[in-house]
Amino acid sequence: MGRQAATNVQAGAEGTGRIRAVEPLPHSPTLELVNSPKREKILEGMLEAVGAEGYDGASVRTVLDRTGLYRQAFYDNFADKDACYLAALEMGIGRLEGIVIRAAASEETWRGQLRAGLGALLDRLDAEPDFGRGVIVEVHAAGPEALAIRAEAMKRVADFIDLARREADEAESPPQIAPEGIVAGIHAIVHSRLSTGATDGFRQLLPEFMYFAVLPYFGADAASAEMQAARV
Amino acid sequence: MDSRPTSNPEAPLDRHELPRAYIIRSERERLLEAMVRMSAAKGYEATTVADVVEYAGVSQATFDEMFASKEACFLEAYDAVFDVLVAHVTAAFEAAADEPWPEQIAAGLGALVELLAMEADIARMAMVEVTAAGNDARERYRTMLTRFTPFLEEGRTYSGQGEELPADTARFAIGGATSMIFDEVRAGRGPELKRLLPDLVFAVLMPYLGPEAAEDEMRRVTRAGG
Repeated sequence: MGRQAATNVQAGAEGTGRIRAVEPLPHSPTLELVNSPKREKILEGMLEAVGAEGYDGASVRTVLDRTGLYRQAFYDNFADKDACYLAALEMGIGRLEGIVIRAAASEETWRGQLRAGLGALLDRLDAEPDFGRGVIVEVHAAGPEALAIRAEAMKRVADFIDLARREADEAESPPQIAPEGIVAGIHAIVHSRLSTGATDGFRQLLPEFMYFAVLPYFGADAASAEMQAARV
Repeated sequence: MDSRPTSNPEAPLDRHELPRAYIIRSERERLLEAMVRMSAAKGYEATTVADVVEYAGVSQATFDEMFASKEACFLEAYDAVFDVLVAHVTAAFEAAADEPWPEQIAAGLGALVELLAMEADIARMAMVEVTAAGNDARERYRTMLTRFTPFLEEGRTYSGQGEELPADTARFAIGGATSMIFDEVRAGRGPELKRLLPDLVFAVLMPYLGPEAAEDEMRRVTRAGG
């Protein structure tokens, strides 16, 4: 059934695939992906459906139920659930990155940027845990392409973390592997909390995350001080 | 438990007279091993019960008697595989009991990568395919990883920092290490996992000891390995 529907859409998509003129979305970091309000609504519905029901449990039907849109609107935009999720994942990651970047923009130091960016990210998880689960947890059920998108995003975060080297004393410069370990370790804690169904308490993780990230570049005293400061 | 009724246990058995309970156990083990091999080779999703049954040389009816589903078989095989990993790491950690804690951790990690490098199918099944095998399997994976926590938490005492370290320190350390292993195995570099050992040692020790002590142990492991 899904296969049949997908074929119909691909045929139909040739007619509707042109980019339509829409209101620009100046705050969206993924402007090129979100070229229609319906499409954006579907992508959001997809992440929430997947976050709430699991990737395997969610279907095109449940996404439509959540968005109140008709099947046609879905298949005008996406060949199937998998294709829709990949686009939704890109959008979700882009949105989280946008939140972090905007929060960090007003800070001057690496530590300030990290504190503000991570704090904003954790606030968002407290506000929208299903969205977070849809992006961070269920990506593992969505196949190799989704995992590749995830890996690229983790790499971008690690590259940002490693900017700490510019401010750290040369003598304390940790091994190359350090940023990857930080990102993976923090990710594991968030992932674990999201997958147990937690709906809040993410913000409280900020002090320990600051400790883990500051420790390899600036040492134990700076890390402890940063953990204390973030507890306030 | 053993329903073997009449035969003399002292008498040598030929294959046709093997006790029924023994055959059952061995069929079960063959099915579990087949699940490990097939899911590692084809990926969990592409693996069918028919593949497993054929590899094991066991009938479909027998599979159905023993397991409610492909997933149930996978989960049981997963438990068995992880028991092996944990036993291997525990043995290495305990064998190094006279050494300082960082060296014990390095010994445990060394045993882990050695086993995973040698047993490519186990590595793929235990570290990668499990994440594709549904929510229950992923839940099991996370639970299994916490079996390494007690080894790590000795680092609180060793470092003298005790409860001052963040509550999630073990989870952070395990998360960092497993992510690195996951990436290598997924990229097909499982057989070369031993090269990863110095990085793993750093990632696991760093949150407990800070960067300098972690890097000292990393260097010691690198020298010992080269």
